[in-house]
Amino acid sequence: MRTIMITLLALVMAYTTVSAQSADPLQDAVTRLDKAASVKDYEALEKTFSGIAVSQKTAWLPYYYAAFCNAKIGFLYQDDGERIEPYSKSGEEQAKQAISLLNADKQKKELAEVNTVLSMVYRTRVFINPMTYGRQYGSLSQKHLEQAKQLDPQNPRALYVEAWVKYYTPKLWGGDKQRAKQLAEESLAKLPGTAAGVEPHWGRKEDQELLAKIK
Amino acid sequence: MQKYLITVLLLLPGYLVSAQDNKDKKDSTRLPGTRALKMVTVSAGAFEASDKAKGASLTPIDAVTVAGSYADITQALRSLPGAQQIGEQEGLFVRGGTSYETKQFIDGTLLKYPNYPSVPGITQYARINPFLFKGILFSSGGYSALYGQAMSSALIMESVDMPEKSSASFSLFPANIGTGFQKLGKGSRSSFGASLSYSNQSWYNNIIQQRPDYFSGPEYLDGNANFRIRTGKTGILKFYTNWSSSNVGMYNPDIDSAALRAGYLVKGRNGYNSLSYRTALTDKWKVDVSAAYTYNHNTTATSLTNGDGKTVILHEEPYQYKNRYNRIRSDFAQGRIVFTHILPGNQTLRFGAEHFYTNDKGVTNDSLIRFTDQLTAAFAEGDLYVADNIAAKAGARLEHSTALNKWVVAPRLSVAYMLKSGGQFNLAYGIFYQEPQEEFMYYNRNLTFSSATHYVLNYTRKENNRFFRVEAYYKQYRDLIKIKPQEGNGGKGYAKGIELFFRDKKTIRNLDYWITYTYLDTRRDFQNYPYELKPTFAAPHTATIAIKKSFPDINAYVNVSYAFAAGRPYYDIRFNVPDNKWQVYDDGTTKNYSVVNLHVAYLTPFFKHWKQKDFSGIAFGVNNLLGTKQVFGYNYSFDGSRKVPMTLPASRYYFIGFFMNFGIDRTNDILDNL
Repeated sequence: MRTIMITLLALVMAYTTVSAQSADPLQDAVTRLDKAASVKDYEALEKTFSGIAVSQKTAWLPYYYAAFCNAKIGFLYQDDGERIEPYSKSGEEQAKQAISLLNADKQKKELAEVNTVLSMVYRTRVFINPMTYGRQYGSLSQKHLEQAKQLDPQNPRALYVEAWVKYYTPKLWGGDKQRAKQLAEESLAKLPGTAAGVEPHWGRKEDQELLAKIK
Repeated sequence: MQKYLITVLLLLPGYLVSAQDNKDKKDSTRLPGTRALKMVTVSAGAFEASDKAKGASLTPIDAVTVAGSYADITQALRSLPGAQQIGEQEGLFVRGGTSYETKQFIDGTLLKYPNYPSVPGITQYARINPFLFKGILFSSGGYSALYGQAMSSALIMESVDMPEKSSASFSLFPANIGTGFQKLGKGSRSSFGASLSYSNQSWYNNIIQQRPDYFSGPEYLDGNANFRIRTGKTGILKFYTNWSSSNVGMYNPDIDSAALRAGYLVKGRNGYNSLSYRTALTDKWKVDVSAAYTYNHNTTATSLTNGDGKTVILHEEPYQYKNRYNRIRSDFAQGRIVFTHILPGNQTLRFGAEHFYTNDKGVTNDSLIRFTDQLTAAFAEGDLYVADNIAAKAGARLEHSTALNKWVVAPRLSVAYMLKSGGQFNLAYGIFYQEPQEEFMYYNRNLTFSSATHYVLNYTRKENNRFFRVEAYYKQYRDLIKIKPQEGNGGKGYAKGIELFFRDKKTIRNLDYWITYTYLDTRRDFQNYPYELKPTFAAPHTATIAIKKSFPDINAYVNVSYAFAAGRPYYDIRFNVPDNKWQVYDDGTTKNYSVVNLHVAYLTPFFKHWKQKDFSGIAFGVNNLLGTKQVFGYNYSFDGSRKVPMTLPASRYYFIGFFMNFGIDRTNDILDNL
């Protein structure tokens, strides 16, 4: 009996989720995004998000997520400099589009989110070839990360990006693996245990991946 | 030599590249989420090192920081396929060609005297800092119609626009001292700078015994200055001037007599001045204008001396030719204009013209020289996109020389075909004309252009920060210069070969390496060769490895290069007077050549508490680390009874020193992700 009840409940829940999905394509895409892992996943999601972006026009979130997908693809292609540029360029445009849709005075937290993603997008530009792109795009990436932190010092995703930079930068240029660990832990502590909804909530997986590298 | 070594070392970590002007143009017509197609670009015959290089493509810094390059771009490029390992002479010997057949261009203008004047058997250094360039295109065949007068290879270099920021530098090595600055104006709209370096090897040579006995120098003085001004939205005016002088005098044992010594003294003064301007005229039109003036003055004296250092004048053969004096002053000027018209679909049309004025005067071997040549060229070239995966570059070049009184037309064509897998095939064809060396034109006014026809096929694939390239070619030489008894354009030859290149930046963290292999089969009948011979500057097999490893945790950089070349042919060619012809009296093949060079740099700020952290370090290096005895060929005595190997002036070359650079703050903008 108990099993049947649970099964029924699960069915009802599944049904409501499905109906919620069809009602809100953005929520559906974000739910899938939470499980995305491969370039293929992010490519498909990027298409979905930019499709939503074009149909909605004034919503910043679809642009934000499209840019985030492009940034993630760039990070996954980190060791394949030949392939990154088109993703990085689209991501830059999408992030800038998202910023233009936000109110600079009233939406500081949202702007912090987009600047964090834009910082990641510029970081992917560095991966194309650090020697040729590092100087210009490295500083641009840093600039947007600073902006994000200024707008919202508590943003866990900005903290994650900062941790990432501290981890991968050579010591001579200011890199610090222990500081990276601190920042990633701080970021993790600020992230909710489970996350849903369409507001930006990614970061847990990324923080854990980084922390796994630091002994 | 430690000239420019400061920059070599500063840039060794590879992060300090001056990469301005790479602000990508916005493509505003593109919708968010759509991808720009990966464009197919023609690349047969050329290695391009650009500040826009992606993945495992070469950057200018990659190209010039190969260990053992002596801050000479042509030495550095010997680590790429197609170039020969020539240790007794400066310059690039590409695919069976002499160094005269390779020409260097800076912003479109010919750098006619890239190195200090030649000294027999000893490589002389480059005058120009190789870090001046944001783009280096090394073509070993089939290059663009925009360039000419180089039968084998063109080295096309583009100078940087603006420096990163204002800075000053200083370096001190046992044989070299250098200082310089760059000042960047407000809003990066203008900049100017200057640097000076002086090198005197005599102190070093006292410690590290050299094979020749230097009685003068070797010393080199070099000063250069530049300014760059942005005009309007797209224009930039650039000026660069470089003045240098050298003084090298040495004694070697005279090959024909055990009791006497052969002296060689060369003093050179040189100035290279280049002014260039480029701007967009409209959305669709661009123009590049440049002008250059080069002054060169070389005085060379050979002498025969006895044990007391007194000049000995003997009138019998072969000694009567051993006290010689040459003095030549050359003025060389060039003007050039190139229009670029951008057509729909990324197709481009380029056309323009250039003029070269050469005036040489002086004395060689007691005869007066007066020589003037006006060379004019007009050219046009189009980039065509035949399909999404097929691109072509087609062009032609018309040239006329007053000294030769001849017109020639050189067609050029290259085609690229991109495969679905990402690999690409390239084909190139072209005719390349070149005037004979001036010393032949001084005396003979009935010469014509020499020429080489190139056929190149290549395949490249770039993926995962790895770069693979294989190239095969065939080259036919016509109208090469022959000397007496039938002086003229009676020579000919061919070269064919296959070359491999593989670079990997991914497999091992912080390790970047490339491997090359060059196979060359060439014969030519030129100058005093009695018939088609394998030339002395061509080894059938050459392999190189360039390794760069960084240790970011201890701020150290290690750079190793290795080169191997199979033995080169050598000959004792003498004139057989009774038969009135040149004859090979002896021949052979040298032993194999192999060399290992090592450079190490340790970077550390010396003034940690200054507001502007300095960027400084210590560097040391050894060229020919294993002390391998190198034989580049043999010199024969007049009667052929003695042969003396041509080898390095010292078995190893060492340097150690420190360098400082102020004003470059780069905290946090560097990524160590490779």
